Amino acid sequence: MSATISVASARSQRWRLRGTRLRTFAARYSGRKDGMLGLVVLAAFTVLALAPDLFVGPLETATRATAHAFDAPSAQHFFGADDLGRDMLNRTVHGARISMTIGLLATVITLVFGVVVGLVAGYSGGLVDNVLMRVADFFLVLPTFVLALILAPVLIEVVGADAEFLGIRATLLVIVVVIGITSWAATARIIRSQTLSLKQRMFVDRARVVGVGPGRIILRHILPNVVNLIVANAVLTFATAVLTETTLSFIGLGDPFQPSWGQILNGAQSSGAAGLGAWWMIAPPAASVVLVILAFTLMGNALDDLLNPKARTRQ
Amino acid sequence: MTELLRLTGLEVHFPVRGSVLDALRRRPRRVVRAVDGIDLAIERGEVLALVGESGSGKTTTGRVIVKLTSQTTGSIVFDGQDVSRLWGTRRLRDYRRRVQCIFQDPYETLDPKQTIHDFVGEPLEVNHVGSGAVERETMIMGSLEAAGLRPAADFAFRYPHELSGGQRQRAVIAGALVLNPQLVVADEPVSMLDVSIRTELLRLMLDLRRERDLTYLFITHDLSLAWVIADRIAVMYLGKIMELGPAEQIISAPRHPYTAALVSVAPSPEPPAAGERAKRTILVGETPDAAAIPPGCRFHTRCPLVFDRCRTDEPPLIDVGAGQSAACWLAEPGPGTAR
Amino acid sequence: MSEPMGEPAIEPALTPPLTPGQIRGRRQWPLPKQADPAAPLLQVRNLQTYFKLGSGWVKAVDDVSFGLTDGEALGLVGESGCGKTTTALSLVRLLPTNGRIRGGSVELFGIDLVAKSDLALQRYRWREISIIFQGAMNALNPVIQVRRQIAEPIRYRLGQSEAASQKRAEELLDLVGIPSRRLGAYPHELSGGMRQRAMIAMALACDPAIVIGDEPTTALDAMVQAQILQLLEQLRRELGLSLILITHDLSVVAETCDRVLVMYAGRVAEEGPVARVFTEPRHPYTRKLLGAFPNIRSDRRTLETIPGEPPNLLNPPPGCRFAPRCPQVMPVCTEVVPPEAVFADGVRVACHLYETPVHETPA
Repeated sequence: MSATISVASARSQRWRLRGTRLRTFAARYSGRKDGMLGLVVLAAFTVLALAPDLFVGPLETATRATAHAFDAPSAQHFFGADDLGRDMLNRTVHGARISMTIGLLATVITLVFGVVVGLVAGYSGGLVDNVLMRVADFFLVLPTFVLALILAPVLIEVVGADAEFLGIRATLLVIVVVIGITSWAATARIIRSQTLSLKQRMFVDRARVVGVGPGRIILRHILPNVVNLIVANAVLTFATAVLTETTLSFIGLGDPFQPSWGQILNGAQSSGAAGLGAWWMIAPPAASVVLVILAFTLMGNALDDLLNPKARTRQ
Repeated sequence: MTELLRLTGLEVHFPVRGSVLDALRRRPRRVVRAVDGIDLAIERGEVLALVGESGSGKTTTGRVIVKLTSQTTGSIVFDGQDVSRLWGTRRLRDYRRRVQCIFQDPYETLDPKQTIHDFVGEPLEVNHVGSGAVERETMIMGSLEAAGLRPAADFAFRYPHELSGGQRQRAVIAGALVLNPQLVVADEPVSMLDVSIRTELLRLMLDLRRERDLTYLFITHDLSLAWVIADRIAVMYLGKIMELGPAEQIISAPRHPYTAALVSVAPSPEPPAAGERAKRTILVGETPDAAAIPPGCRFHTRCPLVFDRCRTDEPPLIDVGAGQSAACWLAEPGPGTAR
Repeated sequence: MSEPMGEPAIEPALTPPLTPGQIRGRRQWPLPKQADPAAPLLQVRNLQTYFKLGSGWVKAVDDVSFGLTDGEALGLVGESGCGKTTTALSLVRLLPTNGRIRGGSVELFGIDLVAKSDLALQRYRWREISIIFQGAMNALNPVIQVRRQIAEPIRYRLGQSEAASQKRAEELLDLVGIPSRRLGAYPHELSGGMRQRAMIAMALACDPAIVIGDEPTTALDAMVQAQILQLLEQLRRELGLSLILITHDLSVVAETCDRVLVMYAGRVAEEGPVARVFTEPRHPYTRKLLGAFPNIRSDRRTLETIPGEPPNLLNPPPGCRFAPRCPQVMPVCTEVVPPEAVFADGVRVACHLYETPVHETPA
């Protein structure tokens, strides 16, 4: 039957269209030099973070240290060694895993809360919008560091110091939660304002007239039109999360057993590396942070330019 | 002919958000009376044109009928059933299947992230029309072809930005017709389109009416367009109907001075003959603010034939025979006529 | 009838239009130095404006010629994408960055503007050729008072003092019918019709030789449109305004213009006096276009349709560009670009239907 064929063809057409859209987007993205640079740098760090053992062996501890304390960079230890004789290259690569996992988790929390609250507040309007936005305002003004300092002992008390989640220990979980709590509100505001303007568009009115309920309007009509915004926002949030994690670890909220870049910097600071002229204890993690954030920002800007329909017409 | 839809005493008021200063001075909140008392019946199978300038309340009236805006007072009776108090996706389901709309800007009406196929198919899916994917697919393709997008398979899997303006509006029409509605509210459906494409779409709408027994409420600012497509014309000014009647009569023998002025300035591609310009009635000034509607007849501030009674008493729609009625004291029969 | 029928429309007989000599005589500013006083006001020859798009050139305006004399109003009509706006904006080269004038000349007072550098062209923009834009809300700066915006070109283009330019701005606003109590208004405080009046005042600020109206009444209500057209008519008679009116609305041209240029897909289809072209259209496209226009003064429901869509100008069809949609298409139409046939009544038509009779050579 021709109708049966057309159902099947409708499905295959839909997949074909998705494929074409993805391909054209990839082609446009690859035309952006800055975006590609960011992508390459990030891909390299991601590979290191996924399998650090493969490149530098298992994480070195005080008992498994392979060098002498404060060894300067040499042929055996490219990045030198720290105050306990642990190889800096080994620790920096392992740090990538911790730092980036925390960044990823924090971004997921931020996006889930931010997008849901933004969509619901923007589409519902009225009292719901008012209440949600006042709550968001409250979180928007919370100082990250103070919150972290207060929340750390509370959270550790609640979940127990040895609790683990996705290989992340409770102390680091505090950092994830703090970043999530303090940054979802900004995302929610962006998504809400976009939702407000989309809600005024005729196609939302049309959907209502043909009998589409509010839930489906949000999921099928508003959400696809804010995906661009979410992607661009996610990349930039990730960069901020890595930076915040580094700062929080540096001021001592990290976990010494799970060296993130911030944690390594904290170790360097407390062992007096700067005063001893042991720059190699500071440079590798610091440079890593800078590179990763730069890569994310480059990607974020490229994505923003490509995905933002207003920016596109300007070209 | 029987009545399909009746509006009785319809009013839609919007509060205006005043400044902080107004609130401090305890000034009363201003209210825009967008629609200010409309009684109107749409007959089954007719094309009724609602003509008015911007701010006349014609679009708001249309939005109330398709249940996008709630009325302040008044009732809407559709096919004998009072739907004034009907709200909510589920309770409106039956009504929504029978009353559809076409908006002015086809590009705005189509979701940029939705293919034409999904746009036309969505009403079927959410209203659980059709027994399955096969039947729905047949209905979608049939609707696209009926709207003149042939062969449908060439257009179905395109995004709105891949279509021309005329094709987009055809897709919008297909999306409105797929539910087989009885009443279609068309709000300026062709005003964004070029002249040559415009007539094709008007013809399509009239063909579809014949084939599918449709009734149209055709909302437009363009009197000549209304005259081309409509059986009856209702002229609105500042939230009220000024004149109502068969299209030919409204154009050839308007009884309300406002209609007469609109007819006299209606666009025409014939170069005006000498002296013809002088016969034109170009009203001075602008339509008053809908938050401060003049007392008496709302048109009296701009009316070239105004007299004392107009400033104090508001005229009702007065029947002048042959299905025509005008809200003007001059239309009143018997002695006391100002003429 | 004792009551007056509203504001009477302007009776053409009351103020006779100015003659070309009077129009140049009442100019407050001298002609540009290189101007040839005997030259016609505007002469456009074989203008070609293309847009770079991806791999190719969109031939938006292809070989368009026309002229304008002092005090004349020319209507450029056609559907969206026919090149009417591009033609007009090419005169002062106000083109998007991917637009290029690839050929032809634009002579104002005998001075070729195409050959001018961007800097040299500045002197002609607004001062000699000004524009009334369609969306007055977008063309006016929302945070500056309307009067100041009108004074701006007078002050900076003509080098007048602050006081003199303010005074002139007030005169202009009075001329276009904006009451003096609205002088200090900001654009958003004015209604659509008032904003369009302010836009007209701004276009008149430097007493330009030519005013281009780009769809000046399109977004307005019928009554307001009638008011604005009445104003333009009045300005033409009182000031001897030379006007190029871009519009898709044939009634606006019928109302306001002396001559009309019908464009289709970047080319001239037909040109001539409005009274001739609109009553006796010769090009099949003009005929269709007029037939498709809803007119309450003619028969109901006999509207013409033009099946199909305009061609893609990246790759236009050879021969006549209207051929694919033309009801009277002949084999020659799809191969040869139709030459222009000129008729005795001043109409020229680019159509193969009129090839055989020998007409006068184009002016």
